[in-house]
Amino acid sequence: MNGDSKEFWAGCKAHELRFQKCNACGHVRWPASIICPMCYSKETKWTVAEGKGRVYTFAVYHVAYHPGFENDLPYVVADVELEEGPRLLTNIVGCRPDEVKCDMLVEVTWEDITEEFSLPKFKPRH
Amino acid sequence: MLEAGLCNYVVLSYGHNAFSSDSMRRMLLERNADDAVFGHFGAVAGYALAARRAMHTFDTGPETWKHIAVGQRKWANLNPAATMYDLLMTFEDYYNARWIVEPFRLFDTCLMTDGGRAMVITSAKRARDLRHPPVLIMGMGQHNPSYDVHQATHLAGPTGAKRAGEMALRMAGITLKDIDACEIYDCFTYTVEITLQDYGFFGPGEGEDWFKNGTIEPGGRMPVNTSGGQLSEGYYMGLTPFSEAAMQLMGRCGNRQLGPVTNTKSPEIILCSDNGGILQTHSCIVLKRS
Repeated sequence: MNGDSKEFWAGCKAHELRFQKCNACGHVRWPASIICPMCYSKETKWTVAEGKGRVYTFAVYHVAYHPGFENDLPYVVADVELEEGPRLLTNIVGCRPDEVKCDMLVEVTWEDITEEFSLPKFKPRH
Repeated sequence: MLEAGLCNYVVLSYGHNAFSSDSMRRMLLERNADDAVFGHFGAVAGYALAARRAMHTFDTGPETWKHIAVGQRKWANLNPAATMYDLLMTFEDYYNARWIVEPFRLFDTCLMTDGGRAMVITSAKRARDLRHPPVLIMGMGQHNPSYDVHQATHLAGPTGAKRAGEMALRMAGITLKDIDACEIYDCFTYTVEITLQDYGFFGPGEGEDWFKNGTIEPGGRMPVNTSGGQLSEGYYMGLTPFSEAAMQLMGRCGNRQLGPVTNTKSPEIILCSDNGGILQTHSCIVLKRS
């Protein structure tokens, strides 16, 4: 988390996916930044994404690079493209790793890991 | 710098105890910031995301990559300096190896190595009197798509290799038909496929056909990564492919020497690549025997 992404993580705590939307060109961006990567405008407002998207790509971990993830193996890290445009690195849950496919439809589901932090993860959408 | 007369010799060097220390692991695992909360770490998974997108976009996957892993191992078996010199690999071994981050198995991933490489660059004029026949730089190109893997649209190509390759060939004044061998940055098997594909050796999805029947192996029509590469010789960043190309063109490669020794064409021109990040930066360089 940094100064730019603070609002995103505050949104997660409230179970909302908040992204910056450029006032000048309408581009919805992630990661958070002070200027729009499309038109370089600094004028921006935070909007809430609906939480629906599709799997752009994914990887199935069979090795835990941190002991905290040993019990989760095998687990799926995915890049999910939201309907509003941004792509978000996340996990796919609620199905077996071998059921995950590129372009699969998914929706957000919240995992409250501490009092302060909730993680946006995604599950299959039918 | 050499042409401007600012210096006479440039040493390119790399050394690392990546195998016996934890410094490479620390470097790769610490830089992922917010990704870590989702269990996303390191380079294997970043390239796995790229390779999976490629499998969705065109016809590729382990059936293609096994030819790269096995082909390069055959070169390593001719190279006493290679980590995997004594270890043979069959297609069965490739498929039986454990998953690391799917779609990559163990033999899709490069080695962690203790070692180093160094090269000396100087002007052609100064090089004339040196002990070994000099190798000339014919062309260079760079192209950097930059975008982080999360937002990248180049994961399944065209990567930076396409424009960097075109630039290097244009500077060299040659076409792909003039290339005798390739030394390709091979952090993962998929990197070799997408780089050669973007250079134009074959079209998207034609890799399996192109690689099969030993194309890149000793005796093949387009030798690739003739030291064993980063998959089977050792990981010295871009200096694994670059130094091997120079050594081959100097004729200093012993049992793996391109030419009659390995039943391949004696090389005049070798194409090399390097890339950084998760396919975010790319360099191409064409070297020629003097």
